[in-house]
Amino acid sequence: MTTTAERQMDLTLPMVPDIEIAAARAAGNLARELGLSSEKIDEMTHAIIEACINAREHSGCADGRMYLRFRGSSGADGAPRIDVWITDHGRGFDLDQARSRRRHHEGVSHKRGWGLQIIEAHMDEVDISSSADGTTIHMVKYGEKAI
Amino acid sequence: MTDELKVAVERKPNGAILYTKGYINNVGGEEIAARAYELMDGGVRSLLLNLRETKIVNSIGISILIEIIEKMMEKGGRLSFCCLTPVIQKTFQIMGLAQYAAIFPDEESAVRELTL
Repeated sequence: MTTTAERQMDLTLPMVPDIEIAAARAAGNLARELGLSSEKIDEMTHAIIEACINAREHSGCADGRMYLRFRGSSGADGAPRIDVWITDHGRGFDLDQARSRRRHHEGVSHKRGWGLQIIEAHMDEVDISSSADGTTIHMVKYGEKAI
Repeated sequence: MTDELKVAVERKPNGAILYTKGYINNVGGEEIAARAYELMDGGVRSLLLNLRETKIVNSIGISILIEIIEKMMEKGGRLSFCCLTPVIQKTFQIMGLAQYAAIFPDEESAVRELTL
């Protein structure tokens, strides 16, 4: 793990059960330093948990690791933001197909596969790039402007 | 490292309250399900899940809660929730759980409404 003056943190974590909690706690600590509210931190925490679970359960990566980067910064208006990247070196997936599956499986009897929707609902920006070499999800959470 | 889920049960005249403490993931969800199914097998048809001491859930854990709701509905009963954090409540709404289970802000109002 490295931490720079720009408040950047890099983590390499094994894909083991509940490792998402370690990732979420590390990001939460950084977000608290930046002054994000507890509710925004809570939302970010749940999005990170879902992204880590997706990587662990679906990536099929050979190295059994996920690579995380958290970067905290402030905009010109003083509002803090935290950028989160979560990368796996798995087989990748088709985002349109994943979204389409979800649309066709809504309802109480279709219980799994909500991770992406939860991530998008809890974060301010989400961008996913995926190929046969792996997947990176980049998520952004903004804090309130400084008064 | 994790907040392993603990579940406590309080029997009421017309049902039961399950108190959870910790992370509702797959393991936590199964723990809740085991306790809920024991109560259902014993004839309980109204269960209230008090999540006051649960701050983190994941989609797998919630999917197990939905299974409990389905089983309870099959038996003509109901599962309700109270004391959710705003983010957990939002996540329940995203996954559709809120359509099938009542959510109360606090235990007192839940017990009153459900006549537990």
